[in-house]
Amino acid sequence: MAIEVPAKVFRYRPGAAPRHETYRVTVPDDATVIDAIEAVWRQVNTLMFRHACHHASCGACAVRVNGYEKLPCIVPVKEALAGRAEIVVEPLRNFPLIGDLVVDVAGFFQKQAASGMVITREAEATLDGRPYQRSETFDDEGKLGERPYTRFENCIECGICLSACPTMAAADKFFGPAGLAAIYRATRPADGAQNKSLLLALADGEQGVWRCHSAFECTEACPQSVDPAGAIMALRRELIARKLKRLFGARER
Amino acid sequence: MAVLRDSKLKRILQWGDVRRRKPGMWAYALNRVTGLGLVVYLYLHLVVLSWLAQGPEAWEAFVALAKTPPFLALDVVLLAGLLIHGLNGLRVTLNGFGIGVRAQKPLFIALMVIAAVASIVGGAAIFFQ
Repeated sequence: MAIEVPAKVFRYRPGAAPRHETYRVTVPDDATVIDAIEAVWRQVNTLMFRHACHHASCGACAVRVNGYEKLPCIVPVKEALAGRAEIVVEPLRNFPLIGDLVVDVAGFFQKQAASGMVITREAEATLDGRPYQRSETFDDEGKLGERPYTRFENCIECGICLSACPTMAAADKFFGPAGLAAIYRATRPADGAQNKSLLLALADGEQGVWRCHSAFECTEACPQSVDPAGAIMALRRELIARKLKRLFGARER
Repeated sequence: MAVLRDSKLKRILQWGDVRRRKPGMWAYALNRVTGLGLVVYLYLHLVVLSWLAQGPEAWEAFVALAKTPPFLALDVVLLAGLLIHGLNGLRVTLNGFGIGVRAQKPLFIALMVIAAVASIVGGAAIFFQ
């Protein structure tokens, strides 16, 4: 079975005014929104968009579907069309726009790199659906051991949380939810963070956790359940505890 | 590389865009709206107090105005704004200490129910007592 999808797509090229154009494409009824975007591209091969894995692992295709940040590779067309006359596809917010659905993510990745490491899953399901035990993941000293799985990043660095964050809208230099979540993960003792104080200083800085205004949209929008807002609150708690201890004369660990 | 950036104004308008967003975003927007409202009120309050220096007539005229239903309605709006901003601020502070982070949504809803009930009770007291 195939369905016809009216897709209203954001179009932009440098030097021209941004606009929306509606295309009618036919896709299988079990298609996802990325299939519909690819169908649009087959009609107009000037459409700029990113895509790679088609299964929510790479984060490349992140856009706004009907105004909300999504990975179009895992949103069924039927779901996106429910109760609507058309699917609206637009680029992520709070990023410089290069063209059509493609945004400039260079600044985002620079911030991500500041944490110095990837975000690591605390529990990954085994093939039989059983979560890995901590002992299977970390060695006796709490260091990450040989992992029995290959997909170990929870955060796929799709940028959805930055687009959903209202604070990011007015503060370009804000470290952002993904970056702060990466810092939080990197400061966990299990990974033997030698740079913990340095990372906490980064989180404590002008563009760090204190700029967050607790909208929790990052956590709501995250397609991988990273919970950046939870990480930001945990960092705040740790920083407050450190400041209080310092106030009462305790030495820095 | 040529890139397009939205104007600062357009981006700041996102603060009030709660379409399809979750309760946390409503809390964020409400805190901004009530916060700005309270700042405006603070200055209005100072202006009104300055009328005290203009003698009894000016003050009596203001008191007469303050007893009119439209002005009393503004008092109820002020009360509601104070309650929403204060109680939501309490939630943000608790969350910032790592308390109730996972319960932030029900906490927001519960605090807003308290704000609504207190505003209704306070409004009744303002109009009928």
